[in-house]
Amino acid sequence: MPVEPYGREASIIGGLPHELPARLRTAIIEECSSQHVPLDDVVPAESSLVIVHPNVDHDRIRRVIETLLPAEVGAPKDAAIQDVPVVEIPVRYDGADLGEVAQRSGLGIDDVIALHSGCTYVVRFCGFSPGFAYLGGLPARLHLPRRGSPRTRVPGGSVAIAAHYSAVYPRESPGGWHLLGSTDAPMWDLRRDVPMLLQPGDRVRFVPVAAR
Amino acid sequence: MTLRVDRVGITTVQDLGRRGWAHVGVPRSGAADRTSHRLANRLVGNPTGAATIETSGGLVLTALDDYVVAVAGAECEASVDGRPVAHCRSTRVPTGATLRINRLVNGVRAYLAVAGGIRGEALLGSLSHDTLSGIVPVPLASGTTLVVGSPTAAPTGLDVPITPRDDRKLRVDPVPYVDARSLQIPVVVSSTADRIGVRLHGYPASHAAGGELESVPLVRGAIQLTPDDELVVMLADHPTTGGYPVIGVMQPDDVDLLAQCPPGSTVVLVR
Repeated sequence: MPVEPYGREASIIGGLPHELPARLRTAIIEECSSQHVPLDDVVPAESSLVIVHPNVDHDRIRRVIETLLPAEVGAPKDAAIQDVPVVEIPVRYDGADLGEVAQRSGLGIDDVIALHSGCTYVVRFCGFSPGFAYLGGLPARLHLPRRGSPRTRVPGGSVAIAAHYSAVYPRESPGGWHLLGSTDAPMWDLRRDVPMLLQPGDRVRFVPVAAR
Repeated sequence: MTLRVDRVGITTVQDLGRRGWAHVGVPRSGAADRTSHRLANRLVGNPTGAATIETSGGLVLTALDDYVVAVAGAECEASVDGRPVAHCRSTRVPTGATLRINRLVNGVRAYLAVAGGIRGEALLGSLSHDTLSGIVPVPLASGTTLVVGSPTAAPTGLDVPITPRDDRKLRVDPVPYVDARSLQIPVVVSSTADRIGVRLHGYPASHAAGGELESVPLVRGAIQLTPDDELVVMLADHPTTGGYPVIGVMQPDDVDLLAQCPPGSTVVLVR
C-alpha cells in the first residue's frame, strides 16, 4: 500500500480494506497536527484516502503515513470504534421501493425492515452532496445494484440502499438508490456550527418509527 | 462602504474557498481561475484571499462610495460611466458611477476585485458560492447591496499579467493504480462546462470496464474517464468523491487556464 502523489497538491493511498480509510484519516490528522504539518483536507473513500497538502511536499506526507500504517493495518477490524457512540436515526419505513426490494431479495417487507434496522452501520466515507454518508454494514441479503434508471428527484430525508451501502439523502437531489423510508433527522444544516449529522468513522443505527 | 448590484448576469462571489470539509462532501470551491483572482486582488492592494466577483458578463454595479477596482482574468468590455476600463490595472470608480462588465472577449471568467474586498458572513470559513452544494454566503440579485471592507494597503499600479498561452498545452500528472494511456491527445472543451467540471470530447474509445466502480476521492484538476469515453476535469465545485476512474491530475496553474477555455476550444493534454 504505497503512498503516491495525486497531482501536485495531494497524495493518495489505495488498496485499503474498507474499514481503514476513515480510521486512518483520524490517525493522520492527529499525527500531522502534533508534527505541525499543515493539511487542507483528508478525504476517505471506499478503499483509498487522499491527503490534500498544497504547502507540504509529498515525501513528508509519505513518511508520516508510513510510520502510522503498520499499527493501523494490524489493528483488529473495526477496533477503536467500539467506544464511538451510536447515532440513532428514526425511520418511517414508507419508501417507494420497499416492495420491490423485498421481492428482489426474496424477503417479506417486515424482513427487509428488520434486517435494515437490525444492524449497526459505520460511516465509511462521504460524497455526492454535503452530508451524504456512505454507511457500511448493510446485511448481504439486501445488496442490490443501483436502479437501472436514476430518479430525477429524490426527496430530502430519503433513507436508501444500493450495493453494500445505506445512506440518507440530505436534501432533494437526483438519485439512483432504492428508497426504503424517510427520516426527519437533520443530516445537513448550515445553521449549526457542525452542519453534518454524520462523518467518517461514526456509528449509526436506524430505528423504525410509525409511518405518518 | 457599499456597492449596489443593478444587473447580476452570470456572477458569483468567490475567495480561495473552504478547507477542511471535503470529508463530509463539501468541495473546496473558490475562484475557478485562482491565478486571475489573486492578480486582481494584488492590483487593488488586497490580500490574495479577499473575496472578488467572478463574472461571465452582464454585470452592472453602482458605486455608493469611492472605490479602487481592478479586472483580471478574461478580457472583457468593462467600463465606468461609459469609459473603457483597462484590463489588469487598478482603476478609480467615484461615488455614483456605474461599472459595467459586458461581453467577455477572451476567456470565460473575469475577476473584479474591489480594494477592501467583498465582505459578508462566511459559511464554513469562506465567502465562496459553491454551486454544487448550494452554499451561498453572499447571494447576488438585482438590488443587492454588497458590503466592501476597508482597504488595508495601497493599490499597486502594475503587476505581471498572465499572458494567454496560445498552444493550450495543459500539463497532467499521471496517477497510481491506473493504467494510464498516452495523454498527448487533442481534446475539445464541450459546452457542458461549469464551475463543477469541464467536459472534454475526443479522447479515443477506451472500452473501459463498465459496471459500478469504487468511489475514489477527487481533487481539483482530477480527470475522470466516463463510461461514454469523455474526460471530465474537476473544477472548484467538484464532488469530493466519484465512481469513475481518475486517469491523471492536471497541474494547478493549468486548471486555471482550462477554466478560461471557451466551449469548442481545442486543448492538448501533455505529461
